[in-house]
Amino acid sequence: MFEQLGYDTRVIWACAVKDIRSALRTPASNLIIILVPINFLILELLFALSGALAPTAVVNNDPGPYAQQFVQAMQNAHSFRVIQTTAEEAQREITAGDIVAIVTIPASFDDDLTAGRQITIPVTLNNLNVDFTNDIRRAIPLTITSFYAKAFPGQVVVQMSEHDLYAQDTDYVPYLAVSVLVIAIMLGGMLQAGNNMAIEYERETIKELLLSPASRWAIQVGKVLGALMVTALSTTAVILVVVAILQVPPLNWLEVIAYALVMMPIFGAIGVLVGTLLRSRRAVIPLSLVLVLPLFFLSGAFGPTSFGGGATDVVAKLTPSYYGIAAFQHAFHGFTTTPTSTATNVLILFGFAVLAVLVSALMLRRTSVAH
Amino acid sequence: MEAIASKTVTQVQKQGSPAIEVKQLRKMFKDFVAVDSLTLSVERGEIYGLLGPNGSGKTTTINMISGLSKPTAGSITVFGQDIVHDPRSVRKLLGSIPQETALYEELTAWQNMVFHAELYNVPRKEREERITALLNLVELFDRRNSLSGTFSGGMKRRLAFARALLHQPELVYMDEPTLGVDVQSRHALWNYTRDLKKQGKTVLLTTNYLEEANELCDRIAIIDHGKLLALDTPTRLKQTYGGTVIDLETDKPLSAATLEKLKHLPGVSQFRQDGVALSMTVSGEQSVMADAISLVTAEARLTTITQREPSLNEVFIAITGSQLRD
Repeated sequence: MFEQLGYDTRVIWACAVKDIRSALRTPASNLIIILVPINFLILELLFALSGALAPTAVVNNDPGPYAQQFVQAMQNAHSFRVIQTTAEEAQREITAGDIVAIVTIPASFDDDLTAGRQITIPVTLNNLNVDFTNDIRRAIPLTITSFYAKAFPGQVVVQMSEHDLYAQDTDYVPYLAVSVLVIAIMLGGMLQAGNNMAIEYERETIKELLLSPASRWAIQVGKVLGALMVTALSTTAVILVVVAILQVPPLNWLEVIAYALVMMPIFGAIGVLVGTLLRSRRAVIPLSLVLVLPLFFLSGAFGPTSFGGGATDVVAKLTPSYYGIAAFQHAFHGFTTTPTSTATNVLILFGFAVLAVLVSALMLRRTSVAH
Repeated sequence: MEAIASKTVTQVQKQGSPAIEVKQLRKMFKDFVAVDSLTLSVERGEIYGLLGPNGSGKTTTINMISGLSKPTAGSITVFGQDIVHDPRSVRKLLGSIPQETALYEELTAWQNMVFHAELYNVPRKEREERITALLNLVELFDRRNSLSGTFSGGMKRRLAFARALLHQPELVYMDEPTLGVDVQSRHALWNYTRDLKKQGKTVLLTTNYLEEANELCDRIAIIDHGKLLALDTPTRLKQTYGGTVIDLETDKPLSAATLEKLKHLPGVSQFRQDGVALSMTVSGEQSVMADAISLVTAEARLTTITQREPSLNEVFIAITGSQLRD
């Protein structure tokens, strides 16, 4: 038994080393598994940055303190990128499509406020983009309320008393950045293992593997291990971008490593399965993308799926990426985005890993080589 | 290679059983019968050729012998081991040189050999010595650190040959071993194959080169439509199925009437005409030489006449009715 175990271990290691050597000689495919998640990160950052603050020109005709406070309230609303300018310049910018709205503070703002007269604030909207338009429509009344609450604390008697679940807020970008790590693991594992398996069929070297007395389990585990090691390198590169460039450090590095090690075999094994079934790298690459992207978007990449509720939440719970994103969010930000605990999520991920390895090894049949 | 062979300790079970014994083998793909009640026996230490046109069932048979495909019915034993019930034991005894060489092109020659050694559990202490000896044998030791992807077709074949012998198999299966290689490499591979026989190894060979089968094989099995059509030594196959071939050439084309008479001479089994060249295959003990000469010289001058053994190609066509590369 120990002799067999030793033999199987040597086969696993030999297959892993062979695949790593092959991968290192094909840098283009390694570059894909690093560049795709980083491209996603950039894409999402652009979305986040472009969608977060509406560029708004403020034409302040009143130098008084209340008018200044109103502008300050707009800046604190986290909805506007306030550009203070003249009426002419604002008109030119809105015509050119450079800004979403012009908010004009009348010259009598302070006087009317002090006298208790009705004040009308003209807002000119470039309503081409409904997302920005609605942001402005929501944010101006909120600005008025918050301005009043600050300027006349005694007059606004309804106040919010906030109790936070977590010690700190999580911004959109740090949340997304962590989700992108999961896409790096998913894509890396599937592409690496899928390509490594497909190339065995393309070049018919699968015969060398399956004509040998080595067990198909050992061969399959070796291929998953090889993919895992290469994916670990590419994921490290993505983590470095997240930590060093986006300044999103994890709360617990050990958790990051542990969750990555549980997730990588899942997608490595799925990659082996896909490679075995498709037998062509040209088919593996698009199919990996087609499988990974919906999984990623379904699984709470932009926020907890429970917020959306309904069918999406149910489907998400059937995917490993759902638990992976939750586990990584816990490792980086300390919160849990699923109803299940982090320990349960990790156990479920472990179950997915065992299942994926079992299924892909079962599909790697010797009879699959015969034409 | 003899140095390596001297160290070979064969632990082949069931001494005395044939190297391969196939009984009533049948393989069906849905309604299509690929192999039909095939029975054959390959003796230990012989070079056995398996010939047949494309689609004859040759590859399906080999796949079943090597455990890559399961028979629908019948049995296969390799050195007494049942391939269906104990495939792993059989795989240890089998060395394979597939047609496509199946080398890892991103690995060096040495790394390919080491990887094979791991897959076949070659003892670590013997590994280096065996690899060195085999790479020397196929004259690739100096190129051991070159990527196999940079090798020529002949070099790849030689490396695949060395790799197949690394775990000292008792049975070596070669699928078109010299397909697409240069003449030098072909003769080198033939010599290595003959050396295997000298060491008592059994070789199962499929080839499209009948010259190769003629040179190497002790016995040849010709199969078509999944059935065994003929099995014998190359010489006896030629005697049994070919008889004698008479090649004639005249100074002018013969008339249709004379050609008809020649075709219908007693014992003529095949008749081919190409301009002024005629070829007649005569079966059995019949002698038609005198009759043929008198018919031909009655209307033309005979410029050449030869009597020879048939080629294996002619035997193959006589048996299967088709060219090998159909």
